[in-house]
Amino acid sequence: MNKTDLLKRYEDMKEEARQSIQARQEKSLVLIGTATCGLAAGAMQVKEDFIREIETKGLEAEVIEVGCIGHCYAEPLAIIAKPGYPAVCYGNLDEGLVHRLVEDFLAGDDPSYEYAMAALDRNDEFPTFEDFPRGVYEEKMILEHCGLTDFKKIESYIANGGYEALAKALSEDPGFVLEEVKEANLRGRGGAGFPAGKKWEACLNNGENEKYVICNGDEGDPGAFMDRSVLESDPHLVIEGMILCAYAVGSHQGYLYIRAEYPRAVEHVREAIKQAREKGLLGSSILGTDFSFDLEVFQGSGAFICGEATALVNSMEGKMGMPESRPPRLVEQGFRGKPTVLNNVKTFAYVPLIISRGADWFKSTGTSESPGTAVFSLVGKINNTGLVEVPMGTTLRQLIEEVGDGLPNGREFKAVQIGGPSGGCLPESSLDVPIDFDSLHEAGAIMGSGGLVVMDQDDCMVSVARYFLEFTQHESCGKCTFCRLGTKHMLDILTDITRGEGDLETLELLKELSEDVRDGSLCNLGRTAPNPVLTTLRYFYDEYRAHVEEGRCPALVCRDLILYYIKPPKCSKLCNVCVGSCPTEAIYTREDGLKAIDQDKCVKCDNCRKACPDEYDAVIKLSPPELPAEKERKAK
Amino acid sequence: MLQLKEGEKEEILACVKEVLGENSKTHENLIPVLQQVQKKLGYLPVLAMEKIAEGLDVPAADVFGLATFYNQFRLNPPGKHEVKVCLGTACYMTGGDITLESFERRMEIKESETSPDRHYSLERVACVGCCSLAPVVVVDDQVEGKVTPTRVDGIMLELEADRDGPAGEESGPKEGGNSEQD
Amino acid sequence: MSEEITITIDDGEIKTHHGEKILWAALENDIYIPHLCAIKKETRPNASCRLCFVEIEGHERPVTSCTREVEEGMVVKTRSPRLDRLVKTGFELLLSDHNLNCRECPANRNCALQVIAKKRGFKLKRDRIKPIEREFELDDSPAEFAFDRSRCVLCGQCIWADRVEAEVGAIGFSNRGLKRVVTTFNDLPLADSICTECKLCVDVCPVGALYYKKDQKA
Repeated sequence: MNKTDLLKRYEDMKEEARQSIQARQEKSLVLIGTATCGLAAGAMQVKEDFIREIETKGLEAEVIEVGCIGHCYAEPLAIIAKPGYPAVCYGNLDEGLVHRLVEDFLAGDDPSYEYAMAALDRNDEFPTFEDFPRGVYEEKMILEHCGLTDFKKIESYIANGGYEALAKALSEDPGFVLEEVKEANLRGRGGAGFPAGKKWEACLNNGENEKYVICNGDEGDPGAFMDRSVLESDPHLVIEGMILCAYAVGSHQGYLYIRAEYPRAVEHVREAIKQAREKGLLGSSILGTDFSFDLEVFQGSGAFICGEATALVNSMEGKMGMPESRPPRLVEQGFRGKPTVLNNVKTFAYVPLIISRGADWFKSTGTSESPGTAVFSLVGKINNTGLVEVPMGTTLRQLIEEVGDGLPNGREFKAVQIGGPSGGCLPESSLDVPIDFDSLHEAGAIMGSGGLVVMDQDDCMVSVARYFLEFTQHESCGKCTFCRLGTKHMLDILTDITRGEGDLETLELLKELSEDVRDGSLCNLGRTAPNPVLTTLRYFYDEYRAHVEEGRCPALVCRDLILYYIKPPKCSKLCNVCVGSCPTEAIYTREDGLKAIDQDKCVKCDNCRKACPDEYDAVIKLSPPELPAEKERKAK
Repeated sequence: MLQLKEGEKEEILACVKEVLGENSKTHENLIPVLQQVQKKLGYLPVLAMEKIAEGLDVPAADVFGLATFYNQFRLNPPGKHEVKVCLGTACYMTGGDITLESFERRMEIKESETSPDRHYSLERVACVGCCSLAPVVVVDDQVEGKVTPTRVDGIMLELEADRDGPAGEESGPKEGGNSEQD
Repeated sequence: MSEEITITIDDGEIKTHHGEKILWAALENDIYIPHLCAIKKETRPNASCRLCFVEIEGHERPVTSCTREVEEGMVVKTRSPRLDRLVKTGFELLLSDHNLNCRECPANRNCALQVIAKKRGFKLKRDRIKPIEREFELDDSPAEFAFDRSRCVLCGQCIWADRVEAEVGAIGFSNRGLKRVVTTFNDLPLADSICTECKLCVDVCPVGALYYKKDQKA
């Protein structure tokens, strides 16, 4: 097939897709964000409400499920696109608001801007997302269509220029794809930042005929959901990236490894693969050329370690997900012992954009060493939780204060945890670090897969370090000595510290063990597991000291070092809310009518403190765990 | 050890046979086969693992090794209602551990256990990826966000209400979140 | 025989051949490197015990000598403050999860851990790192031998013997992380499993986990 025919074939396909989409756009569309977090917030109920209201009114409007719109803090979300009006996004939807939007906007002509978050298209009436600080800093590459496209229909993807990169690539030599990816200096988004082009080239140069392309969708870091969102919301972008990679390295079979906890992503990707096959974009003779490549989904079985490349491959071969010592690297001996390219979901997602828009376009964003964008899931004590995409080189401060709109109601920033269990906690003084692979590494954290958790004065750094160690210890595969036993001892020491046990020598032992586990472990899970400990020791040493030297948890978190106390002057006497909230009947009414806590019965569940009405705010935590009376006695 | 009830043995054998028939018999298919069998039976009975090992020509010790290695596989029947408490970073920081403890206290079991009457099972999960709705709990595959200790009581009430009738006696594993057989 | 290669280990030149791993080249030339899990015939070593670290000139990080092939002119060190610290910690970690009642152990004076301790001057005591308290059930179901998991260091030698030498497949690893153990299908006692009691596994156990009942101390 010659080049002209190939491109014509694609243009025809695109035109057809465009027409089918256009027919749709002539009526009003309601797009509901139904990625996993939307669903959890009640998106399906909202969808039903819209359908019912639209039917009741007999309106011509279609309700479509889309993926992640990115503004998780305001879920459930919907976008209404009515011909003649800018598309408008609404958040925090409930039955009442749905009713009103259908009546006033869909049936009437009032877009109800008072309930709108932002418009999506430039207009004279209402600001768009770009007009907010978040929009100023954000630059969407791989999230461009997330939440705006109907993931169930390949036509939506094609009409937006999807698979154009594939047609373009197939009309050129495979070397063209490799050169562009190398020229773009696309670095792997799985965490380590290894140049994708180099990896592909090594695989290509391996003489074998049988080669594999695998997408690592085993996103296991707690606090990270970027890969899930991309797979759920724009699956074809990843699929196209994988086909392009396969074309570049000469592979005919690929796999998407998706973790067990993401059933929806599996469903969406399977459907997308089916539709791509039907269109002749996957399978034999892609777009009529003599290049063939097919894809299958492999579902993980719930083991964090399988995010490690060699463990993932073992797991695909029907074995325990145990990492192997490298070399040989996967590009030499990977799946079934054959050369294999394994990249993260996001890495593949950039490829179609680089091929269709060019390496220079990609490099015009970000820094010279880390071009492109970084995708973060922004969670924790921050106003605008959600999925954000910013150019590499944006500082942490900009990301937290501007994009994330800072911390809620005057809370004080304490630390930001980046890169999950393999990453580190950075303090205020590190906030001006630019976000790129190398700068973060220097600061002691890693880019990791992009989970970013903001912490405030109520978060205890020892407890946070302990949390991550508990996680890695639980997820350690157990193969090698340092990770299996080293993380266990580190966890035990941290547990002791949260109980106020130990001394400065304990802290020294913790540091030594951390360094040895880092240097001695077999794979990157073990080697990076000490990062949360080492960074908190480095930046928050005083907090560790307060625990071991004074038996005090400054953030009032460690439960062995606090007690709950009802402040007599603040207690209303007349209110019984705390008594009712207590699951262990630890709260009683004193003879004088004030409430008090029986410390022996109290399980420190925090119910009473949450239950006590704001106007009283009488329940407080004390650390070290001494009642004021005791303290006074001691003082005397 | 768990005693199989009447008819369960036949059910297990039929299920394994069916799944093996749908997959090519290679070691590589071990995980998908285990997943499919568990999806149908709710857990991996010893008998099923034995038959799968035979069918795929894999040492039974390796099938057992795999089933005990991955979080997803369970060797005991799940409860009628499965509650998974997310302990991802965001959930942990917003009190996920307190939520888990509340469930443990109310169900009178510990995490990764099934209540003796097989009405509940309780698990912790690493992260379900809904961090902006933390703390999150998954009740019978439905994700619930912003679960306060009081909401735990509400969830328990709903699950308790489903106790009437002869449940627990005959249904057990089949009615868990994994059920696909109607 | 394949191509001869000369490398330097601890300032001495040794001759070995292409494709050999540093560990075996060293051991064959009477240069001791601590090790537990290495199996010479295994082409893809487990590299799980993490005791055979060496430093190679030009490499920033210590490398496990069981996995790294020799290269002409390679300069290797088996001792340095950094290596000694790493190996000591690895050793102490293993001891923290090992039944240290050596006097009662059938492998006393014939134990790989004791050899490592002697060669490196480590104490067979746990002062820096606390012991992990847990209990294992003794499996003495086979006629002539027994399996005491409290002494197992998870080196995998027995599994190799069972799989590759005896071609039985009775034992394997199960569970994950700290719960990882060597066991049979469904944790059955060895006598109830498909184990043929060929005892090849007993012969390769470097410690006293798998032992002959006749060697048992009173």
